[in-house]
Amino acid sequence: MSLVQTSLHNKHLELGAKMAAFAGFDMPLQYSSVKEEVLTVRNEAGIFDVSHMGEFFVTGPDAVKFVDYIVTNDFAGSEMLKAVYSPLCRQDGTVIDDLISYKLAEDRVLICVNASNIEKDWNWISAQTSGFDIVLENKSDSYSLIAAQGPKIEAIFRDVKLLDNAEFPYYSIVEREFDGEKIIIARTGYTGEDGFEVFAGHKLIATLWDKLLDNGAKPCGLAARDVLRVEVCYPLYGHEISDELTPLDAALKWTVKTDKENFIGKEALVGLTSKYRLIKLSLEKGIPRDGYSVLNMNDEVVGSVSSGTMSVVTGKGIALCLVEREKFPADKKFKINIRKNNIEAIYHTKAFVNGGHK
Amino acid sequence: MSNIPAELKYTKEHEWAKLEGDILSVGITDFAQSSLGDIVFVELPEVGTDIDKEGAFGVVESIKSVSDLYSPVAGKVIEVNSDLESSPEQCNEDAYGSWMMKIKVNNIAEVEEMLTADQYKEICENEH
Repeated sequence: MSLVQTSLHNKHLELGAKMAAFAGFDMPLQYSSVKEEVLTVRNEAGIFDVSHMGEFFVTGPDAVKFVDYIVTNDFAGSEMLKAVYSPLCRQDGTVIDDLISYKLAEDRVLICVNASNIEKDWNWISAQTSGFDIVLENKSDSYSLIAAQGPKIEAIFRDVKLLDNAEFPYYSIVEREFDGEKIIIARTGYTGEDGFEVFAGHKLIATLWDKLLDNGAKPCGLAARDVLRVEVCYPLYGHEISDELTPLDAALKWTVKTDKENFIGKEALVGLTSKYRLIKLSLEKGIPRDGYSVLNMNDEVVGSVSSGTMSVVTGKGIALCLVEREKFPADKKFKINIRKNNIEAIYHTKAFVNGGHK
Repeated sequence: MSNIPAELKYTKEHEWAKLEGDILSVGITDFAQSSLGDIVFVELPEVGTDIDKEGAFGVVESIKSVSDLYSPVAGKVIEVNSDLESSPEQCNEDAYGSWMMKIKVNNIAEVEEMLTADQYKEICENEH
């Protein structure tokens, strides 16, 4: 199968990006260096092409009610023009995907889903619509998406007139005209830093991409994006959450509102004890990688690394790890196996890096 | 295009080697460091280790990847460049100055069999 190209593909090549296959798309992995790109987002302003992600629109009188029914978090109770992060679960509580729903109007909701799950989500969501007065559309092919992240991005957004002076707090959204076209801007992201995600048609996104670069933002690739999200301990589908796990396994209990009247998976998730606990470990020396074994002090395997990388900010190897609840050691002491060595790890109760988001 | 000094020998796994007497210095090529990106970790063997031809003798890691290092010849490790363990970025800055191990070669013929600069250049061009 040939790889899908986003509308910004030629721009990535012109910028000299190293490209790689991701979820069937040919995506920019890095432009300059992963280190530089991570630091750009932490200290300045970076932009990512995340057009591979999927966009579904739910319209009609029951739009909000429907989305609230398929997700585990409280979407109905959220304010208008707000985004809500939530797992999408099956009846047995296992996770189909994690997604962000944007309440554009009482009768219009945008759902943004992971690129790797577009088809699976579409099949699932479209099979749940009976009894709801809604229209569901997959507009993934007609939208491009840029994530613009970092402490200096707000000023750049004002310079290019994407933002006005109106208040625009974290996780807010706005739908507005730009160059005669409707676009959606959300104050969201996946890096822990302040920033925005902009949904627009392909042509306009290309114009915006160039404008943001001209005004000081730097292009950043998916490798930096992954390091950034692990540093602030955000879960990624296929790593911390998957078809076999429930949100409770990935410490996402805060997104499961069991007091909601009804939602898919509620019965399974009420009163459920998770099989795993998601923990954060770092190493003084060595880099933990996905799949490496996590051990207790007796060198018995108790779990595995779900996401591991070198942290650019701390200069240490960092890991999110799924540890079996039944084997969780009371002393909270762990080792990580790297090749022939079991290396004692440092247990963290907080994220490795504090993002600066508002 | 990456730098491929004519006087060195190479492997298809992107190691370079330089023979002095029966001691072979081994490192990774400019092409390798450039493909890996920021090198953040280097793991080297213990001095005195016997290594097989094409045996893994260490590991280099970039932020997002792990790569084994393969010895082009069989022999005994007599010295490792432990500076690289504390400053792995040297591999990016000076690939041919950053030797990783020195190995006492059992059979010099194995060095003769390694790729020449021209042969290695061809491999890099095909991978590009």
